[in-house]
Amino acid sequence: MPERARDEPVLAPHAPLFRKVLIANRGEIVVRIARTLRELFIPSVAIYHAVDAQSPHLVACDEAVEIEGEAPVAAYLDIERIVSAARAIGADAIHPGYGFLSENASFARRVAAAGLAFIGPDADTIALMGDKISAREFAAKHGVPVAPSVRSNGDLADFARRAATIGFPLLIKAAAGGGGKGMKIVRAERELAEAARIASSEAERYFGDGRIYAELYVDRPRHIEAQILGDGAGEAIHLFERECSIQRRFQKIIEEAPAPNLPPEIRARMLDAAVRLARASRYKNAGTIEFILGADGRFFFLEMNTRLQVEHPVTEMITGIDIVRAQIEIAAGQGLPFAQPDVVARGAAIECRICAENPDRDFLPETGVLHYLRKPEGEGVRFENALRVGQAITSEFDPMLAKLVTHGADRDKAIDRMQAALDDLAILGVTTNADYLGRVLADASFRAAVLHTDFVVERTDALRAPPDPRRLRLALIAAALGDANFRDVITSVPDPHATMGPWRN
Amino acid sequence: MAFRLIHDGHAHEIEVVRRRPRLVLRIDGVEHIVASLGSGADGDDALEIDKHAVAFVRARDRDRQFIRLHGHVHEFAVADELAEEGGGEALDEVRSPMPGRVVALTKAVGESVARGETVMMIESMKMQLSLSAPRDGILASLSRGLGDSVDKDEIVARLEIPSVRA
Repeated sequence: MPERARDEPVLAPHAPLFRKVLIANRGEIVVRIARTLRELFIPSVAIYHAVDAQSPHLVACDEAVEIEGEAPVAAYLDIERIVSAARAIGADAIHPGYGFLSENASFARRVAAAGLAFIGPDADTIALMGDKISAREFAAKHGVPVAPSVRSNGDLADFARRAATIGFPLLIKAAAGGGGKGMKIVRAERELAEAARIASSEAERYFGDGRIYAELYVDRPRHIEAQILGDGAGEAIHLFERECSIQRRFQKIIEEAPAPNLPPEIRARMLDAAVRLARASRYKNAGTIEFILGADGRFFFLEMNTRLQVEHPVTEMITGIDIVRAQIEIAAGQGLPFAQPDVVARGAAIECRICAENPDRDFLPETGVLHYLRKPEGEGVRFENALRVGQAITSEFDPMLAKLVTHGADRDKAIDRMQAALDDLAILGVTTNADYLGRVLADASFRAAVLHTDFVVERTDALRAPPDPRRLRLALIAAALGDANFRDVITSVPDPHATMGPWRN
Repeated sequence: MAFRLIHDGHAHEIEVVRRRPRLVLRIDGVEHIVASLGSGADGDDALEIDKHAVAFVRARDRDRQFIRLHGHVHEFAVADELAEEGGGEALDEVRSPMPGRVVALTKAVGESVARGETVMMIESMKMQLSLSAPRDGILASLSRGLGDSVDKDEIVARLEIPSVRA
């Protein structure tokens, strides 16, 4: 290698891919994205509503801009203010994270119109995949298996007649929906008409769009999704799959990679279908194609998420690939950073979503103040969070507080490591699902990888905390000794017998 | 003397059996010897109970105490004698049992309310819940308006007993 001249400055190997990136999100995902931006020598900008002014997600970025809004959540959804803030501060790209505006086609369009790069797919792709009906039609057209279905055309009686031909059980969903709203399982023909009427009115109420569709319902399905990267020019690769079957209220709480006990032939067909879909849509960005897998080995397209996924770290841990970095490189027009043969999976990884919620009360969200936090750490452990002692946990935002992710040489070792990490984790001041997640990991069915999306409901009783009267008594002693009045009685009030000494009795 | 703590809706008594030479406490009828009292402060603490070291973490809220012990978080409240006797401030307060958003106000400040009568409705996770008056009285204040979000255990309204005219 030629020796560098003494006065030659030390430069990063390449000029940064962007001048400055604004992250249009809050909490842990901002911290996560800012970490990669720093490694790429790209300055980062946080946005925040006043209620988040103390959040560590601001500290994680180089700059922060306050977005005013009547409700805190509205600030993070305010397209005009966010785009203006990005321009005013000199950002040339926006990363939307997940949730909020990440799958909002109008936002992607507005960002592009402002001359900024949107670190995500084109607005048209977001729109195509954001509508369940257009997404599944596109998938079916490109040879991706979709569950047999029919859609409503306004005449609900006709819809019910055609839906009955699919067979039972079947599922009725809102075309514009998500998050389980407007979904109905119908197990017999006589329930069909009424269920369609309710689903349509719910769809109208929640989404302002009463269109519904019915599809074959797969009993006790597994939820498996493929992580893909597309370059926007028709080339795409996969980064293997994730198993996301442990859900409550149609939302994932434990995810892992790779999917355990997945026959190699099914994995190959699923990943192949995902890559085909990404190529056909000339997809640009990291994306996720979700499937349901029946016990009979048939799998069907569920939906495509055109953004970074909450559970992306499990894929990062098995592949060693920084997915956020890949997103940025693709958005900067660098193309795919890898070829398919370069992507190799090693070991297993698992993620637990730590949420402020009470599993004993049907997982209802909990609020409080974070009074004590002990973060787990160690080899093969990632604790993705933006938590701060003193932080109020309110109902303004999603109840997810943090993600705990572990990696191991195999599934058992990753789970063992997760159990140890959950043991190390202490969050006091708000009720969380951390203890519950620990019980899921210890559950024999979970360990045996008997996974399906009804797991949480079916194993409700088995997953309840067994009463432990001795542990409770010890905790009662600890609490009593933490009470100033009780402690005074024990320690400071003179005891006449004690002052005389025990030998005098 | 006995000290009472509420856990998961149940009251537990902690009785001091002896203080010397070793502290002996009786909890739910079972005696335990406590040889080391720990710091009593928030954060990591440790006791010696029945000759075993017991490490735990403690955090305190205004009226709650959280103890994480043997991998399990316990939440305690000190039993409030006044509330238990049926008097005191607790009956003047309308609290929200879960976080949510106010979707209806059914009473205005100054109106009289009967025990069990709905004062407001909140919506949480698509469920609507009515918050009702714990006793007869006059609605003295409302701290939340339509569309506001409320926290778990937040006091959303206060009642007062109508003053008797002379």
